[in-house]
Amino acid sequence: MYIIIVGGGRLGYYLTRALLDEGHEVLVIEKDATFSQIINNELGSVSLHGDGCEAATLEAAGSGRADIFITVTGDDEDNLIACQLAKHKFNVPRTIARVRNPQHEKVFKKLGIDATVSTTNLILEHIKHELPSHPLMHLLDIQEKGLEVVEVKIPPGSTTIGKQIKELPLPADSILSLIIRKEGKPTVPTNSSVIQAEDQIIAVTSPESEDELRAALIGE
Amino acid sequence: MEFHRILVPVAGTKADEGAIELACSLAKRKNKSKIFAVHVIPVERSLPLDAEIKPEIGRAEDILSQAENIAQERGCAVETDILQAREVGPAIIDEATEREIDLILMGVTYKKHYGQFCLGDILPYVLKNAPCRVILDHQIDI
Amino acid sequence: MMKVIIMGCGRVGAQLATLLDKEGHQVTVLDTKSYSFRWLPADFKGTALLGHGLDEVTLKKAGIENTDVFVAVTQGDNRNIMACQIAKHIFDVPKVVCRIYDPLRRDLYITLGIEAISPTTIFAQVLKEKVEG
Repeated sequence: MYIIIVGGGRLGYYLTRALLDEGHEVLVIEKDATFSQIINNELGSVSLHGDGCEAATLEAAGSGRADIFITVTGDDEDNLIACQLAKHKFNVPRTIARVRNPQHEKVFKKLGIDATVSTTNLILEHIKHELPSHPLMHLLDIQEKGLEVVEVKIPPGSTTIGKQIKELPLPADSILSLIIRKEGKPTVPTNSSVIQAEDQIIAVTSPESEDELRAALIGE
Repeated sequence: MEFHRILVPVAGTKADEGAIELACSLAKRKNKSKIFAVHVIPVERSLPLDAEIKPEIGRAEDILSQAENIAQERGCAVETDILQAREVGPAIIDEATEREIDLILMGVTYKKHYGQFCLGDILPYVLKNAPCRVILDHQIDI
Repeated sequence: MMKVIIMGCGRVGAQLATLLDKEGHQVTVLDTKSYSFRWLPADFKGTALLGHGLDEVTLKKAGIENTDVFVAVTQGDNRNIMACQIAKHIFDVPKVVCRIYDPLRRDLYITLGIEAISPTTIFAQVLKEKVEG
């Protein structure tokens, strides 16, 4: 695949190296001539010196035949504009943007960017994972379908312990996929499965129903 | 001074002839010496690296057969190759490394850019990164 | 009377704010540096708000949810474009105007439905008329 990356900072550099290792054709567009030169010296002729928000640069980069366009500069606005240019002027099928301000994730999606990655959110998720008190964790985003895979831990003392799944007021767009019991045995939940203390329940849900799902599972 | 494997990048300028001639005189002293004449076609990013750019390839073939003729007149055999690359300089260096070249010989034409003497991008890159000796053949009045 | 938010309090932003304020409109000017507000006259009756115009919290504080007009005139083309798209598509502001220096970028965003003005094009045209005058 031909992958264009805008932003040759540390993130862009390591991303390029990893994608080259996987056998893809990669080009990094970098504003700073020195950085661009360093990348070329270290990784072979894979960097183009220029502004990724300008049509002329994207033209020279051969954006018209790119399969994926990724923006990883430090500025959200630059990442957005470069992706929109790639999408609307060069018809790149898939655009992915790095987002600094986590609120901008929904803005970018609304404005037609195919996927976003927020470092702030990723770190936040990791922190939540480490905190045992947080009963709902995100395991996976299925961005294009607007769904996510989450894990809910049943704390001892939950009002739902001893109840059957069918008794719980689960949101319509959430599906329980797996229950991992305290002793580590995974089972596929049925309507008559009984909630036990310290169960880990893996579910697929829409982000909007997340709170409702958590409340239904642990009781409040 | 003897060289065994000489790389002569040819660009299709008037300096090519002199460079091949010089390579022949440096190589001749030893029968086993090899001369490689290469032409690098820079491929713009809008095309894949292995795209077949017909007019460019035709031109490259002409340039290389010209080089072959000049060498033959001087009793030297030349191995020729067409390379496609994003940038010319690194392509020359890669080729020199791969073929274990001990001399890169480049013909230089006198260039002026906005009134200033200018070596371009390729020569300084080769000088900076060459894994072997480099001779720049600067020919006056061509 | 209209409610107007102006993002960027440079020479142009401040002057526009002053003009609209004098005509009795309710003006809020946004800038990331308080020093920029020195451009505003002492008798300015509108609001000067410190904050980043790409930040939803700031925009809400500025009253974007019930403003009539949003104007982006910061120094950064991309910042202006992004702010205007947020105003138009997230907050449904009825009228959004954007300054884009780069004429090519302006053309693209006009096709994407953003009302954009390129001072570069306009000024070059004015100069041309003067030269030919």
